Amino acid sequence: MTPILGRPVRKTRTRITIDYSRCGDGKGVDPRECGRCLRACAPAVFLLHETLGAVEDDPLDPQAWRVTALWPSLCTRCGACVEVCPEGAITVRP
Amino acid sequence: MEHGSGGKWYLNAEHYSNEIAEKYDLREFLLEQYTNFEQISVRKVGGFSPVGMDYTFRMPIIGRVVKHMAERMLHSRKPPTDPFRPEGHFGQVVPLEDGEEILRHCAVEPIIEKNCMCRYMTRGVKEACCINFGVMSEIIDQLPRFIPEKEKYHLTREEAIARFREHNRKGYIGTIWFGPYPYINNLCSCENPECAGLRPRVDFGIMSIYKAEYVADLSEPACVGCAACVAACPFGAISMDKVLDRPRVDQELCYGCGVCRHACSTGAVHLVPRDRIPAVAGKY
Repeated sequence: MTPILGRPVRKTRTRITIDYSRCGDGKGVDPRECGRCLRACAPAVFLLHETLGAVEDDPLDPQAWRVTALWPSLCTRCGACVEVCPEGAITVRP
Repeated sequence: MEHGSGGKWYLNAEHYSNEIAEKYDLREFLLEQYTNFEQISVRKVGGFSPVGMDYTFRMPIIGRVVKHMAERMLHSRKPPTDPFRPEGHFGQVVPLEDGEEILRHCAVEPIIEKNCMCRYMTRGVKEACCINFGVMSEIIDQLPRFIPEKEKYHLTREEAIARFREHNRKGYIGTIWFGPYPYINNLCSCENPECAGLRPRVDFGIMSIYKAEYVADLSEPACVGCAACVAACPFGAISMDKVLDRPRVDQELCYGCGVCRHACSTGAVHLVPRDRIPAVAGKY
């Protein structure tokens, strides 16, 4: 793949997973109150949103919010989000 | 949409009129859209989830096709039908003067400021940076989570201009948006990479927003070489030439937002019309 707009493109996809039993979905921590990962991420990879739509079995619940890694290709793999998450809910794998 | 030769689409007062909002039934459309605003970025479009779509954008052939389809949706001129899709939602960078001109002559009252949802969704921070007009303002009145916590968010023209100026001086990029075409209701003060409208353009080359009608010109003799403008540029378009001991601008990268001017203590940074520079004329 060629670099896009001067940014290097990695050969392997970055897989960022968030354990929703520990954060969001009305369980564990409410990401609207915590938000540490949102602020730690320099390229703003994460998105805070109402629980809905990322997968089929993800029904609308305006009361339960979650964080999704919306732009994984922009992840620099710096590990800041993994470090700041108080629940240890985030994993970043190359 | 016409560019150049004085054709600034955003200074055409017709686009701001309540008649357009009525004609396309935008009251209901926008209420539905903004009630569900935070879900839209993660909802499936045509059966495809946008989560991880950035890798698809980067694929050699498929990426071009998908980006072309995204651009077609963003630039749609048909009457908008689906409030869950950003149909006809594109914008242009505007420098401070043009933003002031919009607020002084084009924007329809009531004028309000609302919390920027891009900043909330990417950073969890509520900051009142968006200035809305007309029908859009009436819709925000019904949605408390967009309303800034301070007492007053309905602004007079002069107050709105002062707020826009404040944001611009802080280094936020002025942008004006169709939402949806042909209705203009949003004058934002954006930040990169938080802005959901700048992100597709800056990171993936999707024409979600046009560059301004201007580019920065740093050829002024008054420049003392302090390099303050280098740090101020949100797009990394200015760098320091150590031989000449003065900054130079990469006009290909410059969006013409004019934010660099506020950092300059000697007033040496100017904006010149894009059309006057052969390298970037017509390149929005």
